Amino acid sequence: MTTLELIQVILFFVLLIGLTPLLGNFMYKVFTSQKHILHPVLGWLERLTYKASGINPDEEKNWKSYTFNLLLFNFIGFLFLFLIQLWSSHLPLNPEKLPDISWHSALNTAVSFMTNTNWQGYAGETTMSFLVQMIGLTVQNFVSAATGIAVLLALIRGLSRKTTEQLGNFWVDLTRSTIYVLLPLSIIFSIVLVGQGVIQNFHSYQSVQTLAGKTQVIPMGPAASQIAIKQLGTNGGGFFNANSAHPFENPTPFSNFLEMLAILLIPSALTYTYGKMTGSVRHGWTIFTVMFILLLVGLSLSLYAEYQGNSLFGSHALMEGKETRFGITNSILWSTITTAASNGSVNAMHDSLSPLAGMAAMINMMLGEVVFGGAGAGLYGIFVFIILTVFIAGLMVGRTPEYLGKKIEAFEIQMTLIAILAPSIAILIFSALASISPQGLTGINNSGPHGLSEILYAFSSAAGNNGSAFAGLSANTVFYNLTLGIVMLIGRFGVIIPVLAIAGSLGRKKITMVSSGTFHTDNWLFIILLIGIILIIGGLTFFPALSMGPIIEHLLLTRGLTF
Amino acid sequence: MNSKRNISLFNKEILWRALKESIVKLNPLQSIKNPVIFIVAIGAILTTVNVLYGIFEGNYSSFNFQIAIWLWFTVFFANFSEAVAEGRGKAQADGLRKNRTQTQARKRIGKKEVLVYATDLRKGDLVFCSTGDIIPSDGEVIDGIASMDESAITGESAPVIRESGGDRSAVTGGTKVISDSILIRITSEPGDTFIDRMIALVESAKRHKTPNEIALSILLSGLSIVFLLAVVTLPAFFGYNLMASGQPSSQNLTLPVLIALLVCLIPTTIGGLLSAIGISGMDRLMQRNVISTSGRAIEAAGDVDVLLLDKTGTITLGNRMATDFIPADGVPIEELADAAQLSSLSDETPEGRSIVVLAKEKFNLRERHVHQMNATFIPFSAHTKMSGVDIRNEGKPVHQIRKGSADAIRSFIQNNNGFYPKKIQDIVAPVFSVGTP
Repeated sequence: MTTLELIQVILFFVLLIGLTPLLGNFMYKVFTSQKHILHPVLGWLERLTYKASGINPDEEKNWKSYTFNLLLFNFIGFLFLFLIQLWSSHLPLNPEKLPDISWHSALNTAVSFMTNTNWQGYAGETTMSFLVQMIGLTVQNFVSAATGIAVLLALIRGLSRKTTEQLGNFWVDLTRSTIYVLLPLSIIFSIVLVGQGVIQNFHSYQSVQTLAGKTQVIPMGPAASQIAIKQLGTNGGGFFNANSAHPFENPTPFSNFLEMLAILLIPSALTYTYGKMTGSVRHGWTIFTVMFILLLVGLSLSLYAEYQGNSLFGSHALMEGKETRFGITNSILWSTITTAASNGSVNAMHDSLSPLAGMAAMINMMLGEVVFGGAGAGLYGIFVFIILTVFIAGLMVGRTPEYLGKKIEAFEIQMTLIAILAPSIAILIFSALASISPQGLTGINNSGPHGLSEILYAFSSAAGNNGSAFAGLSANTVFYNLTLGIVMLIGRFGVIIPVLAIAGSLGRKKITMVSSGTFHTDNWLFIILLIGIILIIGGLTFFPALSMGPIIEHLLLTRGLTF
Repeated sequence: MNSKRNISLFNKEILWRALKESIVKLNPLQSIKNPVIFIVAIGAILTTVNVLYGIFEGNYSSFNFQIAIWLWFTVFFANFSEAVAEGRGKAQADGLRKNRTQTQARKRIGKKEVLVYATDLRKGDLVFCSTGDIIPSDGEVIDGIASMDESAITGESAPVIRESGGDRSAVTGGTKVISDSILIRITSEPGDTFIDRMIALVESAKRHKTPNEIALSILLSGLSIVFLLAVVTLPAFFGYNLMASGQPSSQNLTLPVLIALLVCLIPTTIGGLLSAIGISGMDRLMQRNVISTSGRAIEAAGDVDVLLLDKTGTITLGNRMATDFIPADGVPIEELADAAQLSSLSDETPEGRSIVVLAKEKFNLRERHVHQMNATFIPFSAHTKMSGVDIRNEGKPVHQIRKGSADAIRSFIQNNNGFYPKKIQDIVAPVFSVGTP
C-alpha cells in the first residue's frame, strides 16, 4: 500500500465525517417539517404529490396502519416490477428486442429490488430492456431506500414521543425522503458522473471493430441516472453485469472515489439525524463511532489479507479479479464499504478476494448490515443491537433497562430477538440446504471450501439485503432464485415489522427522567459494550459455518493446498 | 451478625435439601421451565445413550463418556444453585412451623393446668401465660395485664401493653410475654391463626418472575435456538467439505461433539447461574445490614426512584436532632452553644429541645433562670421558621438572639441591616446536603 493510497483512504474518511453533520442536519430539517433550502425549490412537487394521490399529510397513523401502508406500497411495487419483466418484449424502449424474462428470475429480481437488496441473478445488458431498467428497477432503487428511511423515522418518533399511538404518515415520509433527499442528490451526482464519462442514452448496442480486427458489441443505455441512485440509496444493482467494474459505470479513479463516498453518505449522515431527532447529537456520534470502528476493523483485516499475497505465487499482491484502473487498495476499500453499507455494488470480483478478505465482507453482511448498513436499514438494524446491549447492561446493574428514557421490557426483547435472529436463521438454514441438495450444488463454480464460501456469501448477501455476490455461483436457477428470494424477504421484513412493533410499543410508554442510575448511551463504555454484543452474537452464530468455508480455505492456502 | 447471616444462608439443612431438590428438578416437566438447562439435559441424555450404545457395540469412547459426565454435572449444578435460592424461602416457612408445633401451652382445665402442644388448642380454650412464655395461639386477654414483645409480628421493638377488656385485649400467637402474667381465651382454630396464615403466605410465594427475568428468559431461549441451528447446520457444511476433498461421509462430526459444541455456544452459564446471581446480590446486601428476601426483591429495589414511608421511626431515629455546633469564623464555640441554647428555650419542637440538650451535654450549660434576665421569648413557629429571645438590659440596646433555618436567618439579618457573610453559606450548604442522619 503506497503513501498516496493511504492519503486517499484518509481523505475519504475525513470527507465522510465532514459531510455527516451537513447532510444529517439537512435531513433533520426535512423530516421535522422545518424550513430548509429546498423547500422553495421543490415544495410544489411535494404538495402536488399529496394532492394528486389524495393524501392528507397531517394525518398520522399507529404502528399497524403504518406497517400496513408500507407493506401495501412495497407489494404494489413488487407486482408492477414483476409484470413488466414478464412482458418486457411487448413493451417499448427495447431496442435490442430482448426476450421476456423467466418467471423465477423476474420474481427474484422484483423481490430483490423491492427489498433494497439488488441481488442480480441476471446480466443487465443482455436481459433488461431500457424500460424495465428505468421505470422498474430505478424507481425501486428510489423507493426502497425511501422505505428504509421511513421505517427509521417511525422508529425515531416512537422513541422521542411519549404516550402516543401516532408514528407519523408513511406516505409523507416516503415522499419527503424521495423528493428532498434522494432525488436532488441523485440528479447532481448523475450529472457529475456523466461528466466523468458514464453513459446516458437510448442508443441500440454498438458494434465496433477492435484493434485485433474482431467485432465487439458495446452495450448502451441510460446508465448514469440509475448508477447515481444505486450508490446513494445503498442499492447496488448495476446497469451492466460487471457493475461498477464496467468502464461505462465507473470510468475514472475520481468517479470511483465519488461512488464510494456516495455509498456511505446517507447511512452515515442518518446517524447524525437520528441523534438530533432523538434529542442527543452525542448519541448519534456514538453510534457513528461504533459503526466506524467496525468498518475500520473489517478494512484492516481485508487489506492485511490482500497485501500479504498468496504464498503459492510468492508475495505478490493479488490482482486477479481487480481493475487495474483502481488497484488493490481502492478495490478493498470498495469491497469493505459496499458490504458494510448493504450496498452490494462491486468494482472488483469478490470471488477472487483472498479467503480472509472475502470473510470480512461476509461478516459485514452476517452481522445484519449494521456497519452503516442500508439507508435507514442500518440504523434500525443497529437499534435492535442497542436494545440488546442496554438490556444486558441493565441486568448487570439490576434495573429495568431503559433506552432514551423508554423502559425495555419483555415485548421489546421478543421483537428484538426476532429482528436479530430471523436473518441469521435464514442464512444458516438455506446455506445448509444448498450445500446438501443437488440443485444447490450444481450452481457452484469452484470446488473445495471456496464453493461453500460462495453459497454462504450468497445467502448472507440476500439476508443482509446487500446484493453483492461471489459471482462464482450461477444463481439464475429456479432453486437459487426462489430460496434467495425468500431469504431476501425474511431479511427485509423480518426486521422491519418487529422494529415497527417496537416503535409502536415504545411510543405508548412514558419517558423516564435521567437519574444517577441511568445507563448512559453516549460514552466509551457503551461503545465497547455495543461492539462486543454485535461481535459476540454475530460471531458465535456464524463462526462454525465460517470455519468450514473461508477459514479452512485460508489455512489450507497457507499450507499450499488448493482445489 | 454478618457471619451469622451468611451461615444461615448456606447452612447444612438448606444445602442438603438443595441437593435432593436438584435431583427432583431433573423431571422434564420441571426443567423445561429453564429452556437452556433443558437443552443441556437433553444433550446429556443423548450423549449417555450414545456412550451406552457404544459399549454394547464394543467401541467404548472415553471421550464421549467424559462429555456425558460434564453435561450431567452442568445440569446438576444449575439445578443445585436454583434449589439453594429457593431453599431459603422454604427454610423460613419451616422455621415458623417448627416454632408453632414445638410451643407448649399451659392449658387451664377447671383449676388445673395441663401442658399441651399449641397445635392442640381449640377455640375457647383457656391458657395461662407468664413472664417468658410464648403465646401459643391467637386469643383474647380475659384476666390480667402484661407487657408483650410483639416484634416477631409487627416489627415494633418497644414492648406493648395488653390487658383484659377494652381494645387492647387481643394477643397474637408467637409473641412473647415480657413481664407479668395473663389468662387468655383462644379465639381461633388451629390452622387459622395468624402464624398459619403467614406460613401459607411464605410457602405459596410462587416464583413470580420479574419483568427482567421474563425478558431474559426470552433472550436466552432465542439465543439457544439460533445456536442450536448453528450447530445443526454444521454437519451439512462439514459434509460438503468432506465430499469436496473426497473423504467418506462417515468421517462427519459425531453427535457428542455437536452436543458439546452446542453447550459451549448456548448461554449455559447465564441460564444456570441466574439464581446464583440472586444469592450473591442478597449476600452483598447483608454485608450492609440490609435483609432481602429474594433476588427479585433486589431487582425491584433497583427500579425504585422515590421511597415513600408511612412510618419513619423504623428507618431513622424519627426526630431531627442536633448533633454538633459549627461556629462561624471568630466565634468561640461556647458562645455559640450558649446563644443556641438561649434561643431554643422557647422552641418546643424536637429539634429545639435537642439543641438545649446538646448544649447541656457538651458544654455543661444548664437552663438559666430566665425571668431574671428580663427576656422576652419569641417562640418557634412554622411561619417564621425561627425562634429566639430578646434580652433587655438597662441602658443598652435590645440584645436579640435568633435561631432558625438558614434562609430565615439571612432575611432576618438583612432586614435589620446586618451583614450575612458568604462563609456562613459555605458552612451551611454541605450540612444541608447531607440531610437528617
